[in-house]
Amino acid sequence: MSLGAGTARYFDGRTSARHEVRLELAPHALVILDRDGAIIDQWSYVRLKHLSAPDHIFRVGLRKNPVLARLEITDMQLAHEIDLLAPDIDRTGASARKIRRRAIGWAALAAATMVLSAIYGVPLLADRLAPVVPRGFEQRIGVATNAQIRGMLDKGPPGRPFECGEAAVEQAGRAAFQKLVRQLEATSNLRMPLTVSVVRRPEANAFALPGGYVYVFQGLIDKAENVDELAAVIAHELGHVAHRDGMRAVLQGAGLSFLFGMMLGDFVGGGAVVLAARTILESAYSRNVENAADRFGVRVMLALGADARALGRFLQRISGDTPGGFTILLDHPTARERAAAINAMAPPQSRGVALLDPYEWAALKRICAGYRT
Amino acid sequence: MASFDAGGLATAPGPIDRQTGNVRFLGQDAPYWRILVRGAVLLMVTLGIYRFWLITDTRRFLWANTEIDGESLEYSGTALEILLGFLVAIALLVPLYIVFFLGALGVGTAGPMTGIAVVALAIIGQYAVWRARSYRLTRTVFRGLHFHQTGSGLHYAVCVLFWWAMMALTLGLAYPFAQASLERFKLGHTHYGDLPGRFEGSAVQLLLRGLPLWFVIVAPTLIALSALLAVDWAQIGQIMRAGRSTSDILGRIGAQAPEFYGAIGLFVVALGFAVVAAIVLFPAFQTIVMRWWVSGIRFADISATSQLRMFDVYKAYLRFLGYLFLFALAMLIVAFVTFAMIGIVFGTSDQSKFAEMFTILAMVGLYVVSALGLSTIYQATAKLWVWRLTAQSAVLSDVSLLHRVKGAGEPGSPLGEGLADALNVGGL
Repeated sequence: MSLGAGTARYFDGRTSARHEVRLELAPHALVILDRDGAIIDQWSYVRLKHLSAPDHIFRVGLRKNPVLARLEITDMQLAHEIDLLAPDIDRTGASARKIRRRAIGWAALAAATMVLSAIYGVPLLADRLAPVVPRGFEQRIGVATNAQIRGMLDKGPPGRPFECGEAAVEQAGRAAFQKLVRQLEATSNLRMPLTVSVVRRPEANAFALPGGYVYVFQGLIDKAENVDELAAVIAHELGHVAHRDGMRAVLQGAGLSFLFGMMLGDFVGGGAVVLAARTILESAYSRNVENAADRFGVRVMLALGADARALGRFLQRISGDTPGGFTILLDHPTARERAAAINAMAPPQSRGVALLDPYEWAALKRICAGYRT
Repeated sequence: MASFDAGGLATAPGPIDRQTGNVRFLGQDAPYWRILVRGAVLLMVTLGIYRFWLITDTRRFLWANTEIDGESLEYSGTALEILLGFLVAIALLVPLYIVFFLGALGVGTAGPMTGIAVVALAIIGQYAVWRARSYRLTRTVFRGLHFHQTGSGLHYAVCVLFWWAMMALTLGLAYPFAQASLERFKLGHTHYGDLPGRFEGSAVQLLLRGLPLWFVIVAPTLIALSALLAVDWAQIGQIMRAGRSTSDILGRIGAQAPEFYGAIGLFVVALGFAVVAAIVLFPAFQTIVMRWWVSGIRFADISATSQLRMFDVYKAYLRFLGYLFLFALAMLIVAFVTFAMIGIVFGTSDQSKFAEMFTILAMVGLYVVSALGLSTIYQATAKLWVWRLTAQSAVLSDVSLLHRVKGAGEPGSPLGEGLADALNVGGL
């Protein structure tokens, strides 16, 4: 009994020869016959699979077939009859679309998971890992980063030392600076060798690197009105060293570039998304870290009996002239927010302990005086 | 029921006729646009994970609609296969990535570690390109048989790196020799069933055809660079340091080193000329290389010739530019409306975080839409058209040999494709 019949092109999968064959639709299988009516093969309907082909050809193969035998049917009525008999063939593409929709759903879920692990997972992992990274390893990273950063920052003419405190007129300033740093360090319990340098850069800035390297810019010392303001900034940077924030940033950067760089692949425009996501996320991580360093700085200043509110005042003064931008791109919280948080922690002080005497402070202000800037 | 129209199981071999066969491309623009536009949207939604399905869809379309001697190709690869290949590749690359990361930290990124890592990644990348090619070939089915590739991926990767170095050293003059050598390697290891492929394109021929283009682009570039070299930079540096203001510096340069302005002018003009020439001549370059490449392909006694016309390729690119212009116009309007809306909703003076967030989201979104749109338009116009033109203009000799090929070769693993994807070296 035949449910239908017609002609087709047949490739047996062993040679490239093209055979014109006759198809008969038996109840359970597609029977392929040669021109003499001999049976070449029988393809069970349940194993039939629809293959990609141009629009005017209905191409089918056999699932789990060791060779790539193919039938090509141009008679669309016959194709329709086979479609009705074979459970896995749907020429309308409805079941393919269903599978595709499920795949897209999973992909969207995977994308959401990746975004969530970038926002919450990566910083959490970095927080857990940073404290257990051996200090010796952090110091090695510090040496490498330090050499690189120093090379990037030193824009001075050849022959002028980048670091202040070397020239004869700067020696007294350096002694005062070291005295100040020693007092702060003694209160901080860093468990890491500390290298604090004053360098010839006009900006009012300071930062800490992995491995206990702290840089204070000449611009910051110029802008500081008293020793407490400078001391508070250094205490804040010691907070970064104590919390191993440099190490944490390195781990976070690696985690983010792995997540976004490798897993997402570089679809067109993806590069920009990765950059934007990294910038925003790293800024967000960094804002929390800055608040923690502020709290550390306040505790150190209070322990020394110095004016802990100096940091907030100083920050507000020097940030007054910075141009406004996107605050979610800022890696530091706004000065106003920070000052408020600092004031909430530190009681107002009328008369603090002097960390340096007036002569030492005057010398410190001239720590970079040896060279014209 | 026993009368059949034509053919028969034992197709009569007959005497070998020197018959020629045509290549046709049947695909229309509209369905390809649909695949690409839907793909672009889903790429955004899935942060790029949809690329495995998109690449499979585009290959299916291109393969199925390419007809050689009356039989269309079939791409039998699946998205799931490449996705799994990608995941395995990631698993293999993670340890390597960690080693490089730690190495870079330990030695400092400027150290020799960077060089080693770059070379190693380039080799792995080209190895992946080779394996991905193997995957594509074994998933290309024609007349019930698939293609396959033999040969060592590492050997190929080393050859590629060697030719890259040669091209850099000769300012691109080695390009024809690199292409010829690499194509000989690739096609020499390509088989259709038991039919071995080879490549017979002549490097000298390509060099002679491409030489005028090379001169038009490289000569002005060299002039631009020599203009910069002619400047006494030490003197300019001194003037810069001594100068008090910009106008002061400019005045001093005019007085002390007047040739500086001439040199900079020459640099800008020559480099600008080179860049414009490179853009304008790109379709011509592509035509020359395509024609040369197709005409060099051989499978046993079957040879291909290409009559690809430069004029047609230029038309394809002009079409691309036309679509691009319309798209750019549309994007400008969308950008204007978006930012105007943000301005109206949040006001200009308000420093709220929401306004910022929306602005940044809008900026990133517009950028992504522009980039994806650009790539979609390029693929649906220039790329599809060049594919179609290349196919339509190819003629094959002795195609009757295609009827007597025996199957051979094992299917390749999708790992190469996944590795290529993870390293961003994937191709079509």
